[in-house]
Amino acid sequence: MSEHANGVAPGRYGEVFDRGYAHYDGPREGRRRAVKSLFVYSIKRAMGIRKSWTAKVLPVLLYVSSFVPLIVMIGIAALLPDANVASYPDYFDGIFFLVGIFAGTVIPEILIPDRQEKTLPLYFARAITRFDYVIAKLAAAAVLTMTISVLPAIILWLGRQLTAESPWSAMRDNIGDLGQVIVLGTLIALTLGTIALVISAMTDRKGVAIAVIVIAFLIVSGLVELALTELDQDWRRYLAFGHMQLVFSAISASLFNAEPNMDVQEADLPTWMYYAWICFIIIAGSLFVRWRYSPGNTA
Amino acid sequence: MPLPTTLDRSEPDTTTPVIEVRNLRRSFGSFLALDDITMTVPRASVGLLGANGAGKTTLIRTLLGLLAPDRGEATVVGYDIRSEGTSLRAYVGYMPEAEGLPSNTTAADFVGHMAEMSGIPPRAARQRAADVLYQVGLAEERYRLIKGFSTGMRQRVKLAQAIVHDPQLVFLDEPTAGLDPRGREEMLELITRIYRQLGIAVVVSTHILEDVEKVCDYVLILDAGRLVAAQPLGAMEVIGGEVTVRIDGDQAAFRSGLEAQGVSVHDGGPETPDELSVDVHDEAVYDVIRDLAVQQGAAIRSMRSMSRSLEDIYLGNVGASREEVGAGV
Repeated sequence: MSEHANGVAPGRYGEVFDRGYAHYDGPREGRRRAVKSLFVYSIKRAMGIRKSWTAKVLPVLLYVSSFVPLIVMIGIAALLPDANVASYPDYFDGIFFLVGIFAGTVIPEILIPDRQEKTLPLYFARAITRFDYVIAKLAAAAVLTMTISVLPAIILWLGRQLTAESPWSAMRDNIGDLGQVIVLGTLIALTLGTIALVISAMTDRKGVAIAVIVIAFLIVSGLVELALTELDQDWRRYLAFGHMQLVFSAISASLFNAEPNMDVQEADLPTWMYYAWICFIIIAGSLFVRWRYSPGNTA
Repeated sequence: MPLPTTLDRSEPDTTTPVIEVRNLRRSFGSFLALDDITMTVPRASVGLLGANGAGKTTLIRTLLGLLAPDRGEATVVGYDIRSEGTSLRAYVGYMPEAEGLPSNTTAADFVGHMAEMSGIPPRAARQRAADVLYQVGLAEERYRLIKGFSTGMRQRVKLAQAIVHDPQLVFLDEPTAGLDPRGREEMLELITRIYRQLGIAVVVSTHILEDVEKVCDYVLILDAGRLVAAQPLGAMEVIGGEVTVRIDGDQAAFRSGLEAQGVSVHDGGPETPDELSVDVHDEAVYDVIRDLAVQQGAAIRSMRSMSRSLEDIYLGNVGASREEVGAGV
């Protein structure tokens, strides 16, 4: 009978081993590992993974709301080849508020609990900088939002090609659409994710963050629509920047060479202004979150 | 809750300083939190004593590289606090005073995540989390959500996350805060084991003198941001101590005998004229007393140590420090 290194015979059922503390001699991967871990952990927490079932309800419902219509659309395209399934601009227009609700309800879970539960001192006492922390959180928010803005759109693109008469040639012919789908979905994810993070960075209460985000998306958009129809001054067209769905409608139309909706046509702003506006939101929002987590503001 | 028994893993290396600080100063606006602190702290179980607001937490946060000092320099486990903060924190653990644990996650998940946050790869992190939670007495509870834990169990999770990455030094900020007497005893036992058995140097920040006396062998005393004492705890108790001796026999002859051997002796005072106060500057004085009693045929009826307690030392140093500040020194 062979023996273990410590001279103890191999274990039998029920045998008790000493589990003394062992010093760690393995690799230490520093900031890279820490940022990666924080990124993955943030996503898991937001999705309710390894948490109680109540934490999983909302994300699951939102994914179901996103993917079921998608499956129906692909099914219709497969069964009824002549049916007019929604165009990509229509699809993105349709899911915009769903992405907004996802960002508004799931993204606060990425940032707020660390302040609410006072775990920030534990994070900042680890092998990361505050900048690393913010980068990991921004990346988690962006990737998570992309799972509901980009991923379904890619599946829609794939479904359309696979249900075509000649899938391979359809893929080759429409590869450009895939790039546009990814660009538009990513821009929506980055913009709405950043807005949700900015609002989450300003409060320690998830309920408040969710309410403010929903108000920002729904009420502000409604007011802008009202103002666009009721006001007759020339400057009213700039109000379009306050209605994110209009902003992305304009960008979507430019990407897919489609006709923009009536409000965008009414505003008559150059397309580059819409791109500049979302770039400003993403950059300024990221800098704000970075500032919010600078020494003296938190922890 | 029974604590697991373990074998000694290593002998602490007490020769290398674990913290070296020179002229460290940190202020918040006009408030001076750390005032020109210079010290060399050995690899030991160190008590960081001071009243609330004395600067203990500021000192710890500065030594962790989380607060930049206004001036001065310091190294912790060989890393510069200004330029090597992230490297330093990979080898140092920190248990904050504040309640700070995620409620809706399991102890194993959280401690494993904290190991990864110190750069340990995921697989090793999970293994170490399980081992360390076992070490702090949470083997069975590690897969339960933290929100169901008692205060004592939460303190253990905080301790586990502080040592899961096998640090060379761990800062424990008020580790017994909020614990009942039994929980406090168990926490102090764990802290003792961290240094004595696991070989991890410990700095325990507290305002409870008794905790320091129980687990520490070196003490730093802060008062209003100034370091007023930094020395081995054992030496403190002996320095300036005295014993009160009462004998059956010729007291005057006994006193003369002691003085003839270079021992300083005082009268016991008007309330206890049959006692002698003997200065104990060296442990050999005890042998002198015993040998002289045998030589003179006197019976020692009582011998009480009057050596200064940590409390006396603390109050003495803090009082002296405040007098100096008051005198504008």
